[in-house]
Amino acid sequence: MTVSDKPTMIEFRDVQKYYGDYHALRGINATIKAGEFFSLLGPSGCGKTTLLRTIAGFEDISSGAVLIDGKDAAQIPPNKRPTNMVFQSYAIFPHLTVEQNVGFGLRRENLSKDEMGRRVGEALEMVGLKGFGKRAAHALSGGQRQRVALARALILKPKVLLLDEPLSALDKKLRENMQVELIKLQRQVGITFILVTHDQEEALVMSDRIAVMFEGQIAQLDDPETLYRRPKSRQVADFIGTMNFLPATAHPTSDGGFDVDVAGLGQCHIPADQAPGAATGNGVNVGFRPETLTILYEGQQPTDRETPGTVEEVVYYGDMTYYDVKLDGVAEPVRLSMRNVPGRPVLDIGTRTRVAWSPSALVLFR
Amino acid sequence: MKFPALKTYAIVYLIFLYAPIVLLPLFAFNNSKVIAFPLSGFTTEWFQMMWNDTQLFKAVKNSLIIAVSSSVLSTCLGVFAARASTRFNFPGKGSILGLIMLPMVLPEMIVAMSLLVVLLTIGMPLSILTIIMGHLLICTPFAVAILSSAFQSLDRSLEEAAYDLGETPASTFRLIVLPLVMPGIISSLLICFTISLDEFIIAYFLGGNQTVLSVYIYGQFRFPARVPAIMALGTVLVCLSICLLSIAEFYRRRGIARTGAKDTGGFL
Ligand SMILES: Nc1ncnc2c1ncn2[C@@H]1O[C@H](COP(=O)(O)OP(=O)(O)O)[C@@H](O)[C@H]1O
Ligand SMILES: [Mg+2]
Repeated sequence: MTVSDKPTMIEFRDVQKYYGDYHALRGINATIKAGEFFSLLGPSGCGKTTLLRTIAGFEDISSGAVLIDGKDAAQIPPNKRPTNMVFQSYAIFPHLTVEQNVGFGLRRENLSKDEMGRRVGEALEMVGLKGFGKRAAHALSGGQRQRVALARALILKPKVLLLDEPLSALDKKLRENMQVELIKLQRQVGITFILVTHDQEEALVMSDRIAVMFEGQIAQLDDPETLYRRPKSRQVADFIGTMNFLPATAHPTSDGGFDVDVAGLGQCHIPADQAPGAATGNGVNVGFRPETLTILYEGQQPTDRETPGTVEEVVYYGDMTYYDVKLDGVAEPVRLSMRNVPGRPVLDIGTRTRVAWSPSALVLFR
Repeated sequence: MKFPALKTYAIVYLIFLYAPIVLLPLFAFNNSKVIAFPLSGFTTEWFQMMWNDTQLFKAVKNSLIIAVSSSVLSTCLGVFAARASTRFNFPGKGSILGLIMLPMVLPEMIVAMSLLVVLLTIGMPLSILTIIMGHLLICTPFAVAILSSAFQSLDRSLEEAAYDLGETPASTFRLIVLPLVMPGIISSLLICFTISLDEFIIAYFLGGNQTVLSVYIYGQFRFPARVPAIMALGTVLVCLSICLLSIAEFYRRRGIARTGAKDTGGFL
């Protein structure tokens, strides 16, 4: 069963939110499926946390509706919602032990001491903190706190787990490990995860689907690959990874595609799906991801088109090298990336070279 | 130290501050009715004299009732005010808080006089109760100031987390907020207790025929023969204060250590 066949868990219906005069959420419409790993991605201040908190019930909405598992959430107070949250600051209760923190939500269930201990032990084991139960919560490291927060939220078996930038306080290595662990954990428990992040890489790695937000609106909602390969606007394309933009003119053709004339590169035809933002006329743009452009070494032939140019900048990353190449006839240099493999020397600045490109890789924007 | 003048100043200052307190036990055990050097011998007579003074016991009892009541009441009021001022925004918040804090800087004399006028006008008999009311007025600002900083440093998301995990707002307050502001509550109780115990003007004006410790001690100075017994009483009070402060500080520090918070001073 693919994600799209599953029942809807969360639905936003034209959600609007004002903080005084400030319009924080500007008409959010989206559905999140049961069992989905869903991310809200956007720059700081775009309203991700606010939207997440409307699900938890910590923010009232000004108009519209949030439905959780088919029920209008407006009537349900936060402590009765089938959602649990991992806070950005983790919000570990500093005066309690790890065990007491993790078991906090079970207080209301009147479990026997044994049952309680067993459930807490299970939860701790799930997040890899077995044996940490008796520790004082405030004495834990950042990564451990994060796990306690996870265990504490998951122990109640919520229908939806809300995570507000849970990894942003961790260092890079730990963050990458936790990304993988979170994915595994989500598959294991099968709960809907909704993750807020400003880190596009994190969202791409972890999510089934991503909603990219700018200024209180969802700019695009798609799976990671579509989002990366077929961004609907320059803004989305720019936020998710790097993209080169070249001015062009475009004319629709009878097959639904476009005849595109890219300044300096020449004419080509693209099908409709490469213009998700449907743009025609003069003064449109085409975009190329750096990895879709390739430097041709001595004797190599392009699979599609090629254009000569001069290397202007070289940035060496170990496994990759980034080049800025000034293509003949194109005003701005383009950024391209090459995997470093044996027999492929890193070029020097000023080297004349040929760059291969393919119309199938470009995206048309307004 | 680089500045010898500063060092001298610091030493002189400390002597000025603490020498009188050191003199208390010195004269309390001195075998002479006259408070003057040279000392003439050791005695515990003054302590016996103090111990047999029933008037004194009555004053102490009154003072304790007043100090305990006003510290507990003003700390409770302080909890409400601090919670409201740090968590909610409401119209007139600034001026309301200003009015609560005002008695802190208002001359006590004015507070005492105006209260006395009001009480006499409405015909309320002067008693321990009226003193407690006056002390409540001057202690509450201190309680609010201390507790506001305790509530301020509380992470909002802790409450939200408890709420999110199924607790009601009331149980969240009891399980999360209260334990975390406990060091502040202890500080507030202690400060208010001390302020009330020390206070003279209000207790004198509003006490009617009920005498409290400060007023009693002042009255005794009119009888030179009783001064050595006052010295003995002073000595006991100093010892008790030190014990009380140490115990309170111990609990305050333990509370802070348990939550792993940074010690933001306290007052010792
Ligand atoms: N309680 C609040 N009062 C007023 N403005 C707020 C409040 N909470 C958030 N905002 C504003 O709403 C916008 C969105 O905030 P937030 O959802 O926290 O952004 P994000 O999580 O995407 O960084 C920000 O501009 C922020 O300043
Ligand atoms: Mg945020």
